[in-house]
Amino acid sequence: MERQIISKKKQVFSVEPTKLSPSEVFTRKYTSHLVPALKKLNMDKNSSQINQVTVKHEVDMALALSAQEFAWGRFLLQKLSSADSKSSSSNQTQILERSNDEDGEIEEKMKELQELLPGGKEMNVEEMLSEIGNYIKYLELQTSALKTIVQDTT
Amino acid sequence: MLEGLVSPESLSLSYADMSVPERLKWLQQHQQQEVLSQSNNDSPELLQILQFYGSNNDELLQSTFSHFQMLGANYNMGFGPSHEAMDGCISRTGSCQIDPADTMGVMLKNSEENRAISFKTKRKSEVKTREQEKTEKKIKVEAETESNMKGKSNMSNKEASSDTLKETSKGASEIQKLDYIHVRARRGQATDRHSLAERARREKISKKMKYLQDLVPGCNQVTGKAGTLDEIINYVQSLQRQVEFLSMKLAVLNPELDLSVEDLSVKQFQAYSSNLPVIVASKPLIMVDVPLFPLDQQGSLDLSVINLNQTTTIEAVRFYHSENFSDYSKFLLLVWEVTCLLYLFASAIYKLGNSVT
Repeated sequence: MERQIISKKKQVFSVEPTKLSPSEVFTRKYTSHLVPALKKLNMDKNSSQINQVTVKHEVDMALALSAQEFAWGRFLLQKLSSADSKSSSSNQTQILERSNDEDGEIEEKMKELQELLPGGKEMNVEEMLSEIGNYIKYLELQTSALKTIVQDTT
Repeated sequence: MLEGLVSPESLSLSYADMSVPERLKWLQQHQQQEVLSQSNNDSPELLQILQFYGSNNDELLQSTFSHFQMLGANYNMGFGPSHEAMDGCISRTGSCQIDPADTMGVMLKNSEENRAISFKTKRKSEVKTREQEKTEKKIKVEAETESNMKGKSNMSNKEASSDTLKETSKGASEIQKLDYIHVRARRGQATDRHSLAERARREKISKKMKYLQDLVPGCNQVTGKAGTLDEIINYVQSLQRQVEFLSMKLAVLNPELDLSVEDLSVKQFQAYSSNLPVIVASKPLIMVDVPLFPLDQQGSLDLSVINLNQTTTIEAVRFYHSENFSDYSKFLLLVWEVTCLLYLFASAIYKLGNSVT
């Protein structure tokens, strides 16, 4: 019997978590960061209002912690840990003057994109385009994770 | 560090035939190949030119003559309307010098040569209007980095230029013309190697744009860079807004979070378990967990509260709860059950407490 158990143990260990896709890995990491943080928030401020800004801060922090392999993730983490939470919640876009020339337009749009991406201003164009790609993907994952959390409570 | 020079705003996909680092490499090579010789004929013109540059350039004037013969390195030139930016640019590019030459002297020399060479390239009419537009639109830094590069490239092709210099050495419009001239001459200097490099760069960018097109829904219908960029911007903004909205909702609903934790983790791990027969947790705790756990009621749901990692052990364990175990494993089983039961009680009481309030 013990041999069986031991073999079962071995069997258990033989399946490695590397089979998980990056999106699953991210979702798992993200929720493991966010949920305890939210719980902690909940417990700390049982009676008082839970500030929306702090929740957003936690949400962003969870994203940043789960996406450390990307430049934008590291930048976001840096920004969140140094600055106060107020700055992280503003996602307003600037209405830039559009020039009529096509090339200028493209450039303006690139600038806008750079403003949207955390840390985008320090990157050059090629870098930024690839970072935007996975930023979009992880934003989608984040929204689906948040939706799951929110839907389960309602 | 030259990449720092090329700030995101300064990069444009349109008029730059070559990127700054590529240009610099090219210029470096040319620098090695050609010996720069400054004729003394240039000095009177230089004086004339210097006169029109305002007070900012007084220092330049003084230092230029002493360093006139120096081989130029790349340096920013601020001309005309960009005096203040020029000062800024000096500081910006000061650290990026290829040669440790005197920057002031180089600056002036570059400018002077630019003007000289630019007149030689006989493309004034074609390119001028376009350059005008470009210089109007672009950030001053851009123009200066461009002219910087151009200056270097022009030096390699320098010929006797005293006549042309005299023509352009007067008038306030000169300053603006110089901007155009810089850009123009730079464009004229583009070599095949550079256009190849530029082409490669553009291909990379277009590949990435295509990838982004696949990623962003609804991007396929729009054609052209501007359209896809627009769509991407809208999509990213909408995603960010969604996140904000959801976090706001979450903030409102936060008191009920405990339930959501369970459900979320259960859903997740159900998804995982459908893919994998056994789920491995990273904790060594699994070694004890494996041979046990007949407690397969809703206990698995509640136990997910413990932590997300441990739920995997529980899922894994459920496969083996029907095994016959030895005494030792039964003992372990007992120990585990007791601890889990205690935790279950504690969490149940906690939940009850929360639901009451």
